Amino acid sequence: MKRIVVCNSQVPFVDGGAEILADGLRRALLRRGYDVATARLPLAVEPRIEVIRSALAWRLTDLVKIPGRPMPIDAAICLKYPSYVLRHPCKIVWLVHQYRQVYELLGTRYSDLGDSVDDQAFIEMVRRLDTQSLGEARALYTISRNVAERLERYNGLRATPLYHPPQYEDRYRCEGYGDTIFTVSRQDPLKRVDLLIKAMPFTRSGIRAVIAGVGPELEANKALAARLGVAERIEFVGYVDEAQLIDLYSRALAVYYAPFDEDYGYVTLEAFLSGKAVVTARDSGGTLEFVKDGETGLVFDAQEPASLAAALDRLMTTTGQAQALGEAGYRAAVGITWDRVVDALTEPIP
Amino acid sequence: MKRIVVCSAETPFIPVGGAEMMTQGLVRALGERGFRVDTVGLPFTDDPRPNVLRSAMAWRMLNLDHVPGHGQPIDAAICLQYPSYVLRHPRKIVWLMHQHRSAYDLAGTPYSDFSDSPTDKATIDMIRRVDTQTLGEARAVYAISRTVADRLQRYNGLRAAPLYQPPPRTERYRSGDYGDYVFVVSRQDPQKRIDLLVKAMPHTRSGIRAVIGGTGPSLEANKALAAELDVADRVEFLGFVDEARLIDLYANALAVFYAPFDEDYGFVTLEGFLSRKPVLTARDSGGTLEFVRDGQTGLVFDAADPAGLARRLDDLMADKERARRMGEAGYRRAASITWDAVVDALTESIP
Repeated sequence: MKRIVVCNSQVPFVDGGAEILADGLRRALLRRGYDVATARLPLAVEPRIEVIRSALAWRLTDLVKIPGRPMPIDAAICLKYPSYVLRHPCKIVWLVHQYRQVYELLGTRYSDLGDSVDDQAFIEMVRRLDTQSLGEARALYTISRNVAERLERYNGLRATPLYHPPQYEDRYRCEGYGDTIFTVSRQDPLKRVDLLIKAMPFTRSGIRAVIAGVGPELEANKALAARLGVAERIEFVGYVDEAQLIDLYSRALAVYYAPFDEDYGYVTLEAFLSGKAVVTARDSGGTLEFVKDGETGLVFDAQEPASLAAALDRLMTTTGQAQALGEAGYRAAVGITWDRVVDALTEPIP
Repeated sequence: MKRIVVCSAETPFIPVGGAEMMTQGLVRALGERGFRVDTVGLPFTDDPRPNVLRSAMAWRMLNLDHVPGHGQPIDAAICLQYPSYVLRHPRKIVWLMHQHRSAYDLAGTPYSDFSDSPTDKATIDMIRRVDTQTLGEARAVYAISRTVADRLQRYNGLRAAPLYQPPPRTERYRSGDYGDYVFVVSRQDPQKRIDLLVKAMPHTRSGIRAVIGGTGPSLEANKALAAELDVADRVEFLGFVDEARLIDLYANALAVFYAPFDEDYGFVTLEGFLSRKPVLTARDSGGTLEFVRDGQTGLVFDAADPAGLARRLDDLMADKERARRMGEAGYRRAASITWDAVVDALTESIP
């Protein structure tokens, strides 16, 4: 039986999407008969030097064999920064994301790095570390084309996108098409839930919005809805459990999901598996690998709330359109399986 | 709510052992007392040798002062064994399970893989200096037993208070009859010295049997030894035993044998006591002697004297009432050990 160690960084006391991915991968490998273990090292980011030190901890970690026994660990599958800084004779990277503040977030309000000599040296160091350690991998995959393109652009490395299904894989369902646009995400600036709120005053079809999820921006988003006079048409439902989430998807007219330059985005696939069209923005990154304008959803311009409102009204008023787009989305998402992920990731193992 | 991170070394692909059980027990106990707990476990390996120190350096690279991205402090890091305590943390609390014993008390014994080559000596010296430095940084140092605390004092000149923990799920142990067998369960490796019991068996006259649970690298050698000494009919090797059977075997034994070489702590002693059985242990068994008082809660023999062990086994067969009395005294000792007391001590220094 081949032994595979899944390597991922850990943020103590915080959980998130990448844990769902690591756990899904672990279970998929077990189902296919591999002996699987996980290695998690905590990532610290403050003060900034910790970003490098966290990577060095991986470099000091040895997962080549089982101690004291002649039993090799056949492969290490590395996910988030800086787990791929690990050295392993069969290192396979399935890149979730790099340290984004030194790449595509640089120069946006989502990165606090600037032009100072110290900042530039730091950026350069992280990039070189990535180019070197990712270059060592026997095979390089990414969770999306968006992540692969960044890798090519910034580090000159080629990677193959490898899509995986969302958390509740085969449990999503469709219960018709109501009069709500639904969205679920962490309420933080990068997710841009405010774009949806700002569009609501421009809508004329009577469409309502249901917004799920918690986070630092939740109160600001609520205040924005009140200020724009649309509070009675927007419901903030906060944290939702699995059953509620599946139910909200199943009854929505369509799903809104327009983060800034998203890596991948489960919400898109969850919507499609629920038979729902996705409304996203031209600069939303990974969502656009699945949302084709007018085929599986609608794409708007993030600078123009009125264009989003128009898209929402079109879905409400054009008979059959939300359903037609949603069903096309379903066909696009249903072929994404863990089995294919395991096939690709284990192919390079000798 | 205070946040505590529990830090321990992990060995991927190796089935859960004593260290993981201790970590889980502590995490549960802290959670029950209202602390927010997370764990950090870095893979540890000493193979090949330079990794002993590299694994320690990996811990030194970490920063667990705050929750990343939130700024809230992590109020304490509780570190359990080498090399997790190499972590830097403003509120580092050590509850020492063990150091890297090959560089300490096991050095120069057959149980260590260090030779007296200059390279090995330098590595041993380095490990000891790393320990003295990093354990010295802790705000409080506890040890899982007096044996572990004594070693720390002897080799590193550092003081630690012993802090005992109950074995996992103490409530499942019970007492039945005092039967005609001595029971032992442990990993079958040289340090556990199951062979001492096998060697004593030919000297017994009372017809006592030995029942031995557990698997490991020495299992076949132990079986062969029993055959060679012609006691195979009175020594039963069970291999792996499941939980229900284990509880039964403890419950109906006359006594429990547990005589490893210089054990750190040893749950077997306390499991024997919780089953109201006297424990037979050796003068050089280390941690077991913190609980086994000769003639009160068990019997202590000389590891070099198989006949001495045999005589004690025969004595217990001849006076089962005495076995029961010692077992009851052992029970009272074991029942006084609680997780609440552990949590009280470990969290005392958290501001």
